Amino acid sequence: MQQPSRRDFLKLMATYIAGLAGLLGGYGMARFMSFQSEQGQSTEFDLGPADAFAVNSKKVVTEIPAIIARDAGGFTAMSLQCTHLGCTVEESADGFACPCHGSRYDSTGVVTRGPATRALPHLRTEVSAGGHLIVHKDEA
Amino acid sequence: MKSIWLVVGAIVLLSAVIAAGIVETVKPRPVELIPTLTQQPEYCLTCHAELEEISAAHPVKTFGCVVCHGGERLALDGDLAHSTMRGGANPSDFSVVEQSCGSEQCHSGSAQDRRDHIQRATTSIQATYAGALANILYTFGAEPDLTARYGISEVKDAQVQTVTGVPGLLTFEAASFNNPFIEQFSQNCTTCHLNAMPAAGEEYDRFSGCSACHTPLKPRETTADGNIHRLTTAMPYTQCNTCHNRGNYDLRTMTFVPRSDHPTDRLRDYYQPIAQFVKCEYTLDCVDCHTRIEAMGDGDLHSSKKDIQYIQCKTCHGTLTELPRTTRLNDENDIAFRMAQLNPVVELKLGDEILMTAKGEPLWNTRVQPDGTFELVGKATGQTFRFRPVMGSGCKQNIDQQASQYCHECHSVER
Repeated sequence: MQQPSRRDFLKLMATYIAGLAGLLGGYGMARFMSFQSEQGQSTEFDLGPADAFAVNSKKVVTEIPAIIARDAGGFTAMSLQCTHLGCTVEESADGFACPCHGSRYDSTGVVTRGPATRALPHLRTEVSAGGHLIVHKDEA
Repeated sequence: MKSIWLVVGAIVLLSAVIAAGIVETVKPRPVELIPTLTQQPEYCLTCHAELEEISAAHPVKTFGCVVCHGGERLALDGDLAHSTMRGGANPSDFSVVEQSCGSEQCHSGSAQDRRDHIQRATTSIQATYAGALANILYTFGAEPDLTARYGISEVKDAQVQTVTGVPGLLTFEAASFNNPFIEQFSQNCTTCHLNAMPAAGEEYDRFSGCSACHTPLKPRETTADGNIHRLTTAMPYTQCNTCHNRGNYDLRTMTFVPRSDHPTDRLRDYYQPIAQFVKCEYTLDCVDCHTRIEAMGDGDLHSSKKDIQYIQCKTCHGTLTELPRTTRLNDENDIAFRMAQLNPVVELKLGDEILMTAKGEPLWNTRVQPDGTFELVGKATGQTFRFRPVMGSGCKQNIDQQASQYCHECHSVER
């Protein structure tokens, strides 16, 4: 077998090294191109099987945030985002209270103390074909 | 020979790619926050995750950082991220406060909904310095009377609502008066208004703008990364003392003479040695008696602090013939509830009876007790104080003498 010349060896080395640099650079470029800086927040929440919610029960879902209620008529979802500046309200003895600026709402979401002026909105709900409860952040 | 250079070039290229990869790898992974209020992603928490919440009313999850501080919200390089911040570390400086703290829902609302903080604070006597300027200009013959005509910067008030309000102030330019005393005053005595950076020295340590009062630096409280990140309505007297009670002006040399004592206890630290005061004046904090109108103004431009300060001993204690004014909280939207929410040292309830000032400001940290006495909870200390009305006591006051100097005649504390 003929030994490669020094020139051929160097050419081969240069090709391999440049190829490796190209691969690494290409990987970096692919990562750069696929980077998504603004994914935005979800507007649709899959809360799992609707049957998991008992009739006449309520459940707070913090990631929306909303309180989900189920009665004989079906599902309702009420946003727990204060209509003043958007803090998450907390359940209180007589409804909901905002820990940021003190707005209060009754149990149906109607404002009883400012600075909020609008009621807590009710969100759109649906049960998917697969039987999952889906809550949409747009108002019902 | 050419082949060698090909290899060298390839090695340089590979090294550059590896170096770029390492730099990218050691860069922090961006920590994204999408505040509820702005819905705009920001990466500030990549470096500032350890920063404590600034206040219960401004949670980072709702506000984020950029809405108040400005800055480049998606930058991961510190210099770039901070390059467009408003007011540096202090977005409440009055030069940028409207962009940082304003908006109708925040602190640029109307007087009716009591959200006109910025309009009031920037026209207050503490911001314009009009009282001190009027006094100096009158004293040295530059003005015919004590009516304010100059402020630290030009400001107009289109709606003068009080009898002592003035329609506008011109910018104070000491050189225009051609008086060496006034020029010396300008050089030596203008570090105590809300637009000014403080004088050098730990005892004067404060920010400018809203944070001069609402971000107390004394006693020094720093967070994990060394920054002070706090807004409060529970200001201790020590913060007020970064401007007040620090010394006196010598009108002969027109210089500020700092107080020479270095007290370590509250009794001696609170007021200058020359001051007379009663026990409640130093056991309480300044904000326990002085109201938001007195401190932040009423929206009008005034010539003197006397035009805006109105709390007297009788506000809480009444007189021999009158009990202090009170109000019963019958409206869920009473501002007393909002103020108590911001500094929850008391839990006010509908039906509570609290003290009220002559201008109708609720002293929300007080409550009338069933036996006719009063309770006050210190806004900064949380301490509870009980006190009685003057009426029915053995007080020998002259009913026409209600200024504090007359109360001090019998009740002042000895130091």
